[in-house]
Amino acid sequence: MAPQYKLTYFDVGGTAEVSRYLFSYGGIEFEDVRIKRENWAQLKDKTPFGALPTLEHNGKVVGQSVAIARYLAKKVKLVGDDDWENLEIDAIVDTINDIRLKVFPIFMEKDEAKKKALIETLKNDTFGFYLPRLEAEVQKNKGYLVLGRLTWADFYFTTLSPMFDLITGEDVLASYPNLKGVKEKVNALPVIKKWIEIRPKSHA
Amino acid sequence: MEGACIKRTRKSINIFNTTEEMAPAYKLTYFPVEALAEPIRFLFSYGGIEFEDFRFDRENWPQMKPNMPFGQVPVLEHNGKVAHQSIAMARYAAKKAKLVGNDEWEDLEIDAIVDTVNDLRQKIALYHYEADAAVKESRKEPLFKETLPYYLQRLDAVVKANNGHLALGKLTWADLYFVAILKYLNSMCGGNDILADYPNLTALKNTVLELPAIKTWLEKRPNSDM
Repeated sequence: MAPQYKLTYFDVGGTAEVSRYLFSYGGIEFEDVRIKRENWAQLKDKTPFGALPTLEHNGKVVGQSVAIARYLAKKVKLVGDDDWENLEIDAIVDTINDIRLKVFPIFMEKDEAKKKALIETLKNDTFGFYLPRLEAEVQKNKGYLVLGRLTWADFYFTTLSPMFDLITGEDVLASYPNLKGVKEKVNALPVIKKWIEIRPKSHA
Repeated sequence: MEGACIKRTRKSINIFNTTEEMAPAYKLTYFPVEALAEPIRFLFSYGGIEFEDFRFDRENWPQMKPNMPFGQVPVLEHNGKVAHQSIAMARYAAKKAKLVGNDEWEDLEIDAIVDTVNDLRQKIALYHYEADAAVKESRKEPLFKETLPYYLQRLDAVVKANNGHLALGKLTWADLYFVAILKYLNSMCGGNDILADYPNLTALKNTVLELPAIKTWLEKRPNSDM
């Protein structure tokens, strides 16, 4: 029988990896569709709003990586116990996403000098602002980002943080041991370790 | 309600005008504008949930900023805790106001629309807030000729296919979210009505603005341009 879920994205981790982690964590079978960049132009207008990832289930298709991850987090029970706790998780996820939104456009910058300048600003203003604050959250939360326990916020951070190293060419979390600890803890979960071993060997 | 009755002077409007001196359970803090806090105000109003609508003076922002969780507003105070991130807070208010789905997939459908509207907002903001005049000018045509139509045509089609709503064929917080930030989107687009060519979205706007609880809120809220 075909898996009940089909996740479509490019052949990278990017914003879909958190969902692949969540499927794996919950032991939920999914079709892990990876499209080639050269085919994107034809496929784009077939998606709800011209973007990936998309999730197909029971004949319906939705987009939006964070929304999909939140749905899966509920399925695999990596959520809060009440509305306020889920607000706290959502807020940290959105904050990490804010960092991603500052990182992502720099990959597109073609002018090398401009790109270098943007990376410096990213390191000083974005990482320099957000990472110490997130580091403090993990210290307050016994080694996790929120609620003092494992939630999908930790998965979200772990799967997006490779992007920080990719754009800077540095080990960005080297000076943030607690954040590094979150990433190591998540990637050491047996089901996640297994996923990392079997997933296609593409970069972050 | 937990805690002592708190008497305090307020520079804000107590929407429900209680005779008791108890502070509302929620305090929302933001600039004196609609923008990203307005969806939360709409949702609390729709749900009949009392909230303190605190709008600080802009010149106080530099002192307040370091005290905010991640240096940003809006923030929401409740039971001694402070939350941040406007969409996360709107989702919370939507749950309290019962404008959510009946199951996880339905909530995913709503979330996906809200995030899409937010994507559009960010693309508009990338144009509006650009400090370099030449760069800003270069972004204008792609925004108005490609990006806005791309999103609005699809959103208009969604509303047509969903019985006049943005998700699930019925009123959800996606509808209130979209209509609440409309003035902000329009102001960033130079004050035009970006829905002028989109009849289904225009009808949705009117539907939401005419909800009794929203009408009441519109009459009471302070004026602002964005």
